[in-house]
Amino acid sequence: MRIQDKFEQLKKKRKKAFIAYVPFGYPSCSHTKDILLTLQEAGVDIIELGIPFSDPLADGPIIQDATSLALKHGANPDKLFSLLEDLKGSLRIPLVIMTYYNPLLHYGMERFFSKMKKVNISGLMVVDLPIEESKLYTKCAAKYDLETVFFITPTTGLARAKKIAKASKGFIYYVSVTGITGPKDLGYAALKKDIRKLKEISRLPICVGFGIHTPKQVDQILKISDGAIVGSGIVKFIADHFRQDRFLPRFKNFVSSLCIK
Amino acid sequence: MQKVPDKKGYFGQFGGKFIPETLSVCLEELEGAYRKALKSKKFKADLDYLLKDYAGRPTALYYAPNLSKFLGMKVYLKREDLLHTGAHKINNSLGQILLAKFMGKERIIAETGAGQHGVSVATVARLFGLDCDVYMGSEDIERQKMNVFRMKVLGARVIPVESGSKTLKDACNDAIRDWVTNVKNTYYLIGSVVGPHPYPLIVRDFQSVIGKETKRQILKKEKKLPDYLVACVGGGSNSIGLFHPFFDDRKVKFIGVEAAGYGFKKANAASLIEGEVGVLHGAKSYVLQDKFGQIKNAHSVAPGLDYPAVGPEHAFYKSIKRASYVGVEDKEAIEGFNLLSQLEGVIPALESAHAIFYLKKLAKKAKGKMAVVCLSGRGDKDLEIVQAHTKKR
Repeated sequence: MRIQDKFEQLKKKRKKAFIAYVPFGYPSCSHTKDILLTLQEAGVDIIELGIPFSDPLADGPIIQDATSLALKHGANPDKLFSLLEDLKGSLRIPLVIMTYYNPLLHYGMERFFSKMKKVNISGLMVVDLPIEESKLYTKCAAKYDLETVFFITPTTGLARAKKIAKASKGFIYYVSVTGITGPKDLGYAALKKDIRKLKEISRLPICVGFGIHTPKQVDQILKISDGAIVGSGIVKFIADHFRQDRFLPRFKNFVSSLCIK
Repeated sequence: MQKVPDKKGYFGQFGGKFIPETLSVCLEELEGAYRKALKSKKFKADLDYLLKDYAGRPTALYYAPNLSKFLGMKVYLKREDLLHTGAHKINNSLGQILLAKFMGKERIIAETGAGQHGVSVATVARLFGLDCDVYMGSEDIERQKMNVFRMKVLGARVIPVESGSKTLKDACNDAIRDWVTNVKNTYYLIGSVVGPHPYPLIVRDFQSVIGKETKRQILKKEKKLPDYLVACVGGGSNSIGLFHPFFDDRKVKFIGVEAAGYGFKKANAASLIEGEVGVLHGAKSYVLQDKFGQIKNAHSVAPGLDYPAVGPEHAFYKSIKRASYVGVEDKEAIEGFNLLSQLEGVIPALESAHAIFYLKKLAKKAKGKMAVVCLSGRGDKDLEIVQAHTKKR
């Protein structure tokens, strides 16, 4: 399913999007399969699946630790594609890849994109690929009908935001804070103002991520935007609980409690 | 001269700006400020003054008689080791701290491997009364204790980095994370010709004083240009600083000496020789990586060369064959360290000792030729490492 279609579906139901981030292969590749299906059952609208990278310079300690363990356990894009091949048909919500540029570059963009398409991934976002470096990337993604999500941050000026919005497909990822991933307090008033400005320059849904980790924050963010993205909060729950009994049902309850809208 | 980098920060196909969106604005700000600073007479005068009276420029171009005799070729040493703080790093740190002041930033952050860059940043931050935090891998903190203490004496906070390989690359990651978070008041003072545009350009320009002086000095002494320029390459700032002003002098051959660590196909830091094209810390260049594009841990006995990538301008020089790049192993570097100490009474930094050792190989095919070697730093900081190596034997 395309991200765009998902948002249209949500709009008809007068609902907002809850987006969950998990790193692929954390705590192991076999866990990922159960985790993805559980996220779907818990009512998540879109899953953002991270490709672990050795040098995740936009991530805080929670995601750094998780992705480094995933790498230690041998997570790589080939295993990801083969897992998603198995999940074809059972995973019905859109899946977006989150990656750093080097793993994508090294794998080969065409090769990566064609495999993404084959396993029904809807789109992707590349943390360290700003708009001025992305010409070839957006062209190539369009060829494979993949939606390219770009980031806009509190430091992005309006002229630049317009360019970014133009290259974006699916939704715009608005970074809530000037900083790295991980739980934080949020300034809603400023966020509201920023999002309102973006709404004037783009018709795309605007989803907010970074720092969001409590149900209350999700609720607040959904009042002022089209979607909330929770990453570190979910990863931390996995880290604290995956070794325990009844991990999956508890995980499902935790995620449901975040995304009740 | 071919004008590199281009407007987008590319040296041929290398360089660019591969950074999270939050940093885009501050790179634009930095670029604008740098362009203005270049036009400012005061900026240039201030920098010239500090380089001369504070850092000790110009540095000597020393004819090494005993080494020359030993090798059967004429060797000059560009004595960056004589600078304040003991290495070429201060050239860049002084330039960038003036830029930070120019931009009105209140806080300086830096990454450091050997601690040489950290010390030079701590030094200039003290001089200008700015707060200074230095990120340093915990493994490097362990092997460069004296430099850590020097930074502390100079009032800097040394922040240990425990992630990844606990060395320079991880210190860069944490410095970038800090920068993303505190971008409004913080200046990131990068220590080599790496990172996103405009850093490779800025650092190259500030280090080019090495090559400009060398050219003037060698013409005065020899009435001709040298046959070879030899310098070690980690990130590549002392080598680019020496090479760049000679770019159009096609007869002058450039040799960059990378750290071959335990040897090729083993753990090393020879990014240009064994790496593949990739993106790390904001620039496209040669990077040591595995088949899925995960960055490998580099290894070198010289902490300042212990980095799995290299400045994009070197990648460009390699691609157009303007420079050749060779590798020298740990044990050879130690030999170079002893060689220069015993022949000339000059103890080189282990980084520079890589370049010194390579002269032995070069001399075999270049008898009677003239070479200038960049002695990028002095070796006091490495005495413990060399002592440990000597004991092992």
